[in-house]
Amino acid sequence: MAARLKRDEIPPGTLYLLILRTLSRGGEMHGYEIANAIQRISDDVLQVEEGSLYPALQRMLLKGWVTAEWGVTAGNRRARYYRLTAAGRKQFAVEFDQYRRVSGAIEKVLQMA
Amino acid sequence: MGWLGELWRRFQFLFQNDKMAKDLADEMHLHLELRAEDHAAAGINKRDAESRARRAFGNVTQLLEQGRAVWGWAFFEALASDLRYGIRALRADPGFALAAVGSLALGIGANTAIFSILNAVMLRSLPVEDPQQLVQLKSGTKGNFEGGYTNPIWEQIRDHQQVFSGVLAYGGNRFDLANGGESRFANGIWVSGDFFRVLGVPAVQGRLITPQDDRHGCGPDGPVAVISYGFWKSHFAGDPNIIGRSFAIDRHPFQIIGVTPSWFTGLDTDHVYDLAIPIGCEPVLHTDQTALAERSWWWLQIVGRLQPGGSIQQAQARMNMIAPEVYRATVPANWSPDMQKDYRRTTFALQPAATGFSNTRNQYRIALYTLMAVVGLVLLIACANLANLLLARAAARQREISVRLAVGAARSRIIRQLLTESVFLSISSAAAGLLLAFWGSRFLVRLLSTTNNEVQVDMTPDLRVLAFTTGVAILTAVLFGLAPALRASGVHPNQALKESARGTISGTSRFNPGKALVILQVVLSLVLLVTAGLFLGTLRNLLTADLGFKTGNVLVVSATVPEAKLSSSKRLPLFDRILERLRDIPGVRSASSSFGTPIQGWFWNEYVYPEGYRPKSEDDALVYFNRVSPDYFQTLETPLLVGRDFSSRDNLGSPKVMIISESTARQFFGTANPVGKTINMDAPHLRHGNKQDRYEVIGVTKDIKYGKVDEPPLKTAYLAAAQDREPAPHIQFEIRSGIPLASLASPVRAAVAEVRPEVSLELRSFDTQVRDSLLQPRLVALLSSFFGLLALVLAMVGLYGLTAYGVARRRGEIGIRIALGAQRRSVVWLVLRDVVSMLAIGIAIGGVVSLLTGKLVTKLLYGLQPGNPVTIALSVIVLAVAAITAAYVPARRASRLDPIATLREE
Repeated sequence: MAARLKRDEIPPGTLYLLILRTLSRGGEMHGYEIANAIQRISDDVLQVEEGSLYPALQRMLLKGWVTAEWGVTAGNRRARYYRLTAAGRKQFAVEFDQYRRVSGAIEKVLQMA
Repeated sequence: MGWLGELWRRFQFLFQNDKMAKDLADEMHLHLELRAEDHAAAGINKRDAESRARRAFGNVTQLLEQGRAVWGWAFFEALASDLRYGIRALRADPGFALAAVGSLALGIGANTAIFSILNAVMLRSLPVEDPQQLVQLKSGTKGNFEGGYTNPIWEQIRDHQQVFSGVLAYGGNRFDLANGGESRFANGIWVSGDFFRVLGVPAVQGRLITPQDDRHGCGPDGPVAVISYGFWKSHFAGDPNIIGRSFAIDRHPFQIIGVTPSWFTGLDTDHVYDLAIPIGCEPVLHTDQTALAERSWWWLQIVGRLQPGGSIQQAQARMNMIAPEVYRATVPANWSPDMQKDYRRTTFALQPAATGFSNTRNQYRIALYTLMAVVGLVLLIACANLANLLLARAAARQREISVRLAVGAARSRIIRQLLTESVFLSISSAAAGLLLAFWGSRFLVRLLSTTNNEVQVDMTPDLRVLAFTTGVAILTAVLFGLAPALRASGVHPNQALKESARGTISGTSRFNPGKALVILQVVLSLVLLVTAGLFLGTLRNLLTADLGFKTGNVLVVSATVPEAKLSSSKRLPLFDRILERLRDIPGVRSASSSFGTPIQGWFWNEYVYPEGYRPKSEDDALVYFNRVSPDYFQTLETPLLVGRDFSSRDNLGSPKVMIISESTARQFFGTANPVGKTINMDAPHLRHGNKQDRYEVIGVTKDIKYGKVDEPPLKTAYLAAAQDREPAPHIQFEIRSGIPLASLASPVRAAVAEVRPEVSLELRSFDTQVRDSLLQPRLVALLSSFFGLLALVLAMVGLYGLTAYGVARRRGEIGIRIALGAQRRSVVWLVLRDVVSMLAIGIAIGGVVSLLTGKLVTKLLYGLQPGNPVTIALSVIVLAVAAITAAYVPARRASRLDPIATLREE
C-alpha cells in the first residue's frame, strides 16, 4: 500500500493515529465529525486536506480497524458512522506506543542540541 | 488471520464496487454540504461558503479515485481499459489483427505440435517408479554399442550380476489373436519374471508375472499372460471376471492372470502394449526351434535399476568386470574363430533409460530435430513480421501517441498500453496455436502410422508443452512489442506534433529496423525454401528410383502355419498346393512364393565362398539372400539378364542351384559368364556341423532394392524354395493381378482356407508396403514444403506491409515527382529499388547460410548434395518472384497516385 505523500497532506500513518484516537474517545462518528474533532483538538494547527480523511477511512475499513454503518444525523441526514473494532483498538495501542517512543527519542535529540 | 479477513473484505468490495463508490461519494458530498452549512451559519454567503468548503476538502474526483484505489483493483481496471482500448484499436484494423494473430498462431502452433511429439517420444519420463534409476544395457566391440541380446546372454546376466537392484529383459512382438484365417494382431511383449517388479508396476486385477512363470517351457500355471488396462477394456470389454479367462495367442491358449494399471503402457513410447507373456513360454509358441537356446538371435532388450546411490559409471565398470565371463559362456559355436574372438571381447555401455524405448525416436531423431529447427525459423519469421507490422503501426499512430504524451500521459503508461496490446495479441495467438497444435500433432502422429505399424503416442499436452508454448508467447510479445513501444514513445511530442502526419519520424536515420527485419525474413525464407527443395528432390529421387521390380497391382499375402501341428517336412507340399490354387484364381496373371518380399523390413545375409574368388575384406563375401519359387522374377517383373529361372525340376533331389544379381556377378566373377560357376555356403544351423553346401549359378537378375529404397546397391542372391529342407512356418505369396486388388482378397482367402483353414493370413498391396517405407522422407518433404511455403507467405506479407507503409509515408514526395513529370515506370522503380537491394542482400546471406544448414541434413538426403545448384537456383527464383510480386502491388499503386490530390493534402 504505497501511500502518496502530498505537500498539504500530513503523513498517512499519523492521520490513522489521529482518527484512531478520535474514534477511541468519541464512539460512533461520521466523517465530518471526525474531521471537525481533529481540527478542534489540535486547535487548527494540523491543516489537513479534509478530503484525504476518506481514502484513509477506506484503508482502515479494509484493514478491519473500523466498521461502518449508515445512520441518520441530528439534522436528519444520511451519514456513514464509523466505530472502532477490537483490532482497531489494538492497532491504536500499538501505534500510539510507537509514536511515543519515536517522538520521545526525537525530543531527546533535539534537547541535546 | 488478518490478511485473510482483508482478502475477504477486498472480495466483498469487488462485487459491491458500484455501491461502494456511491457510498464514498455520498459521504464526501455530505461532508461538503455540512462544511458549507457551517460556514453559512457563521455568516458567509452561500456561494463563498461552498467554494471554501471545496478548497478545504481538496480534489473530489481524485480523492474518490484514491478511495477506490485502496481496494487494490485499480491495476486490473487500468489493464481492462488498456485491453478494451487495444481490442478497439485492433478491431479498427481487422486486416492487421488477422495477419498478426494468424501468422503468430501458425508459428506457435507448428512449434507446439512438433515439440509435443518430440516431448512425447524423447523427453518424457516413463510413468514407472523412479524412472531416473533405470539404465539400458548396450554392448558391443570397437566403440559401437547396440541394445539387442540373445536369451543365453540375458540368462547369464540375470544369474550373475550383482550390480543392479533389479534387472529385466523384454522383447517386442506382434502376436496373432485369430485362430487361422485373416490375422488380427496385438502388440505383445516377452517379459522376464522380474519385469513388473523392477519397474514397480502393480496389478489392478489378479497378479503379475513372476520368475516362477518365467521358467523354460512355462511355470507351474502353464502359459500365462498379463494384459494392459486398455486391452482389457477394448478387447474384453472390461470383463470383471477376466482373471482365469483363456484366449489364443498365436493359436495357443494362454490364461490371463492379471491386468496392469491404465498409466502403464509398456517401455516403448510409440507403441501401447496389449499383452505380456513370460520369455520362458517362448518354446510353447515356437516348436520348430526355440529362441531360448539360440546364441545368435538378438531379440531382447535389457534394463537395469541402479542401486540406491549408485552411479551409472560405477555400474558400467562393474558390469564390464563380469562381461568376459558372460560372453565366454555364450559364444555361438558356428561362428568363425575370428568372429568368436571379437565376440568374447564384447563390453557393456550403460545408458539412461528413463525416457523409455522408441523406434520412432531412433528412426526420426534427425527428422524431428530438423523439423523443430524448421518450425523455429518459421516462428522467427512470424515474429519478425509482427515486429514489422507493429513498427509500421506504431509509426502510423505516432501522432495519437504524441498527443497523449503532450497532455501528460506518462511514458511508462504508453509503453504499458502498447505492450498490453502485443501481449494480448500473442496470448490470443498462443491460444489459437495451442488448438492448432492439439489438432496438428494428432494429425502428424496419424501420418506416422502405416498399415503395418500403428504408432500410438500419448499426446496429452503436459506441463512441459504448456510451459513451452507460454514461454514462446511471452518471449514473442516482449520481442515484437517492446521495440516499437520504446520507439514510439521515445520521440519528443513536440517534434512529432510539428511534423505532418506522414512526417519523417522514422525515415531519417540510415538504419531502419524494418529493413533489417525484412532482410532477416528473406534469409530465413531462403534457408527454408532450399531445405524444402532438398527434401522434395530427395523424395522425387526415392519415388523414381529404379527398384529392380514393379510394385503396381501386386498383392502380397503373408501366411503362417501352426508350426507344432505341421512339421517342416509337410510344409513344402502345402505351400505348393496353396500356390497352385492361387494361380487358378481368375484374374491372376502370375503368382509365386518367397521367404520374404523386398522392402519388408527383414534381411538374411550369409558369407559365401565363390569359386576362384578371394575376398579382400570380410564384407566382400557377404550376400543378402532370399528363397523363392519359380515365376518369382516374372511376378515381380525383375528382368532375368542371363541364364534361366528356377523350375519344377530344381527340387530336394537335384543339385542345389542359385540365381545371383548383376552386382554379385560382377563382384565375384568380373566379366566372365557366371552361369555354371559354383558358390559354396555354410550349411544352415549348427546341427549340420561345419559342412558346406555347393550351389551352381544358373542365372543372373537385375539388381533390386533389398531392404530400403535408399540403400546402396547390395549383393543379392536367390535360392530355390523347393530345395529348402526345413521351410519356416511362414511364407509370402506374391500375386500379380489383372483385376483390382480389392476384388482379389476374398477369393485368395477362400483358396487358402480350402487347402488348410488354420493357415493365418495377412494381405497387403506391394505398392503400399514400398510406399510405407518412404514415410519419413515423404513426411519430411511434405512438412518442410508446407513450412517453406508458410515462410514465403509470411515474408511476402511482411514485404508488402513494409513497402505499402513506405509508399504511404512518401506520398508527398512521389506526388511531387509525378507532378514534375516522372514516368510511371521510374516511380515503380523508385519504390522497388529498395526492395531489390534488400532482396539481394538477403539472398546473398541466405545462400551462404543454406549451404551450411544443408550440410546438417545430409543424412536425410538421397541422390543429391546439400549444395545442389538447381535446388538453390530454383529457391532463389521462387523467392525473388514472390518478393517482387509482393512489393510490386504497392509500387504500382504509388505510380498511379493522382499528383493533384496528393499535393493538395500537403
